[in-house]
Amino acid sequence: MKLIGFLCNWCSYAGADMAGTSRIQQPGDLHIVRMPCTGRINPLLILKAFQEGADGVLVSGCHPGDCHYNDGNYYARRRLELLARMLPAFGIASERFQYTWVSASEGARWAQVVDDFTERVRSLQ
Amino acid sequence: MGTGRGRFYRKGQVPPVSELKSKIIEALDEAEFVLGWTATGSGAAAPARFHNAGEAEDAVFDSTCVHNLAVQLPRLKDKTVGIVAKSCDARSIVQLAAEREVDLERVKLIAVDCPGMIDVKSIRRSFGFGASIEDDGTSLRIASAEAEREEFIVAKCRGCEDRDGGAGDPGNHPLREKFYSMSAVERRAFWRDHYSRCIRCYACREACPMCFCRDVCIMQTRDPHWIGGGVNSAEAEMMQLIRVNHLAGRCSGCGECERACPVGIPLMLLIDEQNRVIQEMFGYRAGIDPEAKPPLLSFNIKGDIWEEE
Amino acid sequence: MRIGVFVCQCGTNIAATVDTEKAAAAGSLRDVHHAETIQYTCSDPGQRAIIDAIREKELTRVVIAACSPRMHETTFRRAVTRAGLNPFMMDMVNIREHCSWVHSDVDTATGKAIDLTSMGVARVRKQASLFSSKVPVTNRVLVIGGGVAGIQAALDIADAGLPVTMVERGPSIGGNMARLDKTFPTLDCSSCILTPRMVEANQHEQIDLMVNSEVDTVRGHVGNFEVDIRKKATCVIEEKCTGCMICQEKCPSRAPDEFNAGVGESKAISVPFPQAVPLVANLRKEHCRQFIRGKCGVCKKVCKSGAIDYEQEDEVTTERFGAIVVATGYEPYDWREAYPDYGGGQYPDVITSLQYERLLSASGPTGGHVRRPSDGEEPRQVVFISCVGSRDESVGRPFCCSVGCMYIAKQAILTKEHIPESQSYVFYIDIRAGGKGYEEFTRRAQKEYGAVYLRGRVGKIYPSKGKLMVMGTDTLSGEQVEIEADLVVLAAGFAAAEGAGELARKLNISYDQYEFLSESHPKLRPVETNTGGIFLAGACQGPKDIPGSVAQASAAAAKAIGLLSKGELETSPMVAAVNQTRCTGCFKCRDVCPYNAIEAVEARDGHQTARVVDSLCHGCGVCNVACPPAVISLKGYTDNQLIAETLELLR
Repeated sequence: MKLIGFLCNWCSYAGADMAGTSRIQQPGDLHIVRMPCTGRINPLLILKAFQEGADGVLVSGCHPGDCHYNDGNYYARRRLELLARMLPAFGIASERFQYTWVSASEGARWAQVVDDFTERVRSLQ
Repeated sequence: MGTGRGRFYRKGQVPPVSELKSKIIEALDEAEFVLGWTATGSGAAAPARFHNAGEAEDAVFDSTCVHNLAVQLPRLKDKTVGIVAKSCDARSIVQLAAEREVDLERVKLIAVDCPGMIDVKSIRRSFGFGASIEDDGTSLRIASAEAEREEFIVAKCRGCEDRDGGAGDPGNHPLREKFYSMSAVERRAFWRDHYSRCIRCYACREACPMCFCRDVCIMQTRDPHWIGGGVNSAEAEMMQLIRVNHLAGRCSGCGECERACPVGIPLMLLIDEQNRVIQEMFGYRAGIDPEAKPPLLSFNIKGDIWEEE
Repeated sequence: MRIGVFVCQCGTNIAATVDTEKAAAAGSLRDVHHAETIQYTCSDPGQRAIIDAIREKELTRVVIAACSPRMHETTFRRAVTRAGLNPFMMDMVNIREHCSWVHSDVDTATGKAIDLTSMGVARVRKQASLFSSKVPVTNRVLVIGGGVAGIQAALDIADAGLPVTMVERGPSIGGNMARLDKTFPTLDCSSCILTPRMVEANQHEQIDLMVNSEVDTVRGHVGNFEVDIRKKATCVIEEKCTGCMICQEKCPSRAPDEFNAGVGESKAISVPFPQAVPLVANLRKEHCRQFIRGKCGVCKKVCKSGAIDYEQEDEVTTERFGAIVVATGYEPYDWREAYPDYGGGQYPDVITSLQYERLLSASGPTGGHVRRPSDGEEPRQVVFISCVGSRDESVGRPFCCSVGCMYIAKQAILTKEHIPESQSYVFYIDIRAGGKGYEEFTRRAQKEYGAVYLRGRVGKIYPSKGKLMVMGTDTLSGEQVEIEADLVVLAAGFAAAEGAGELARKLNISYDQYEFLSESHPKLRPVETNTGGIFLAGACQGPKDIPGSVAQASAAAAKAIGLLSKGELETSPMVAAVNQTRCTGCFKCRDVCPYNAIEAVEARDGHQTARVVDSLCHGCGVCNVACPPAVISLKGYTDNQLIAETLELLR
């Protein structure tokens, strides 16, 4: 399976680092692309990934209110929720996409998110 | 909007058309020209520009004036112009104003009541090119025989909320039921099938009043390289994904993209769905309030109507 | 294009689960002219190997597959710069935290490392050289908060020659330290060491002190902040007031004594405390008869210098600063609602340690004679309860206040010194005394001053015959303990100063759930915030004792001085940029920019196009997504880089 994760540099990428530092084992399907902010994530990039055969796309950023750039994830929240609701109309199972918020200190939670998401997509295969 | 609800202007019906003409002439006091329609030999009206009272003599408004003339406005930003607009066209103008592409002070709006446009193409397909079409806005006669008018209304007018007899349901696409009964996987196949007919003529984009980037459109650049240059189902899909993405929270649902598509791709299925989702998420409809903040260019710290937690 | 790929083994950290040789086989990718594995890329020999390879193989771009870029991106950017490359021609791929450390299966980890490395190559292929520009800075520092941390920071910065504006929202500087009687573990007099510093700050020619003032709005960016400061109306003309206190004497309206933490009373117009700096009276309208009933005017009549002005209004001034030091401090946790079993504030003889501090102080309401609030009697049995609103999950305050154990020991010692026949009891969870001379100090309280330490929480306090019955458990003996106390002192935990979160939002800095302000990195950037040019000092960042606050204040001062010492700032190269020839001028970018970093400029043909102000742009990229034709692009994270990276994985 090819899963792609778009993570903001400040919270979730650091949270994934923290999971690594804590050696919390995770399935190996997810490949993380570092983003400055979830606000930088163009829904088209996610759609492009699906079009090119991604089995799942996971987006994670700072919790609302904690954005390193103040507002970035608020814009992202709207864009990503709209995308999530539109995916079925485009013909993409909504289980293949998830967006969530993981802080730099939530290493264990990040590992759980990866576990759950990987399992969810795997069950569609 | 407009005068004489339910009235319908047809060339030769002297009093109403004269009213339209006088409004055009009135608008020309300030406007450099007025965007409207003129009759053609083919029986369907065509868009035209009226620069003076003499030209205004040729103005018509009938049930073949299907085009959304607002598409021309972003390129006329620095001019004062008049425009004859149906209610759906007017919503596009309002949305363009919300996006600062139109200065409402410089647009002289001539509102007309619309009975729903008839689909000349499909009538000709069924009855032959020579069949006569007579329509007064309430009853339709094809080849001198009574026809069920609602059956020959263009797709975009069926769900109209603003005309008498409209379904009042903007998402009322003919394929809607079929589409929503499909699974995600089936829908993908459905789209790929439709997209395989795309000839990449960009008519959907050109007809859209909100697609005002024109020659810098990302459908035709390599920087950024979102889409290749090929004419195939995959590129057509990406084209439509771009279009839908760019129209989020901006589309007033005028339906011109689907009407303009020469190969009949049911583009409005996606557009209607997105408009529905936007309304569900934000309680927002484009083209209603020129002062409203577009939902994807703003946010709500406390969370939105749809809020997750 | 000549790309070099370097795969780090990180000893066995990576090499144990990733076959680094295979990962380096990304060397067979297009444009890759060199690939090697290195045992420790970040080490000197490792960096030298990279530099040598860049020179020998004439590499123009570099991918380093190693640890998290959050760890060593700067290290390697510097390394490639030494080899003559633009620092942004290097991209890091994280095959340690995101790969070798989280996968145990060698095939999985190796496969993923190969994918990630290839993605890095795809991304760096689309990378362009980036350059920073320079902007002049404003050589002036704003210090927010006039407690010991703010004073220290202001003095350090001013002594370095930079002008400072110190904004304090209260009527005097000095903060909580001014309220303390003695300080642990030396028992030196708090005001004796602080007051000279307060005076020095007030008299320093480089320091502009603004009391009764708050930050209204903050605009701008590191090096050039523009701050609106609101000086609140106090009905006293500061320049005219001599601090003679006649107004306070004659004022007929009583008011709570804020400086004395609510023990004792003050007047509606008062000098906050005798050592206040500046020594100026201020009037609290909410308690003043002139404002409540519309007539009084006593203070105005008695003031010989004509300093009273009832019509005074808030004044807002705008100043420019290059850096900001936030030192807003803390306040004692308001325990009353969370601890109904301790009387919830109903029993007058259950007080906080800060209130007790005022009872111990010679400048306090009792003149330094310990008298309990209810009847003014001298207490004989005093019970101290530690961790009230600290280390207590049940009230949602799990963190340690870090000073409670110490000041309880201090107060037990002082109690004995004030009242030799008294007996102190201390309920504690653990004794945390991790500082120089601290452990010895808590021992002294027990051995030399006879304080009885009981390990356990107090379950209930109830009044009985003029006394307070304190019921707790001694967890060491396992016995229930009941003590008849004359006075109970609660070691209330630390809470962030009121409004800390609101200020943080104005400053664009982050804060935690308790509204303590967040440092940029807990170990390596402890005084920086995530917003350039804004630094933290003292307890606003988290519970801290006085030496810790002072040390952090000096550190923050050093950072501010360092930032402004060059007279100009380099802007980040990773900012958004507009392709002006293609901009349609729709300004959706401006609508979404969180930093107002987009301005309109007129293109040659007269139409308006967007332009990014580099020094204001933080590089979030929200604009990039909002721009339909994507002609505004975030450098270092361009659409084409992200598309290439994504497509490489799916290839």
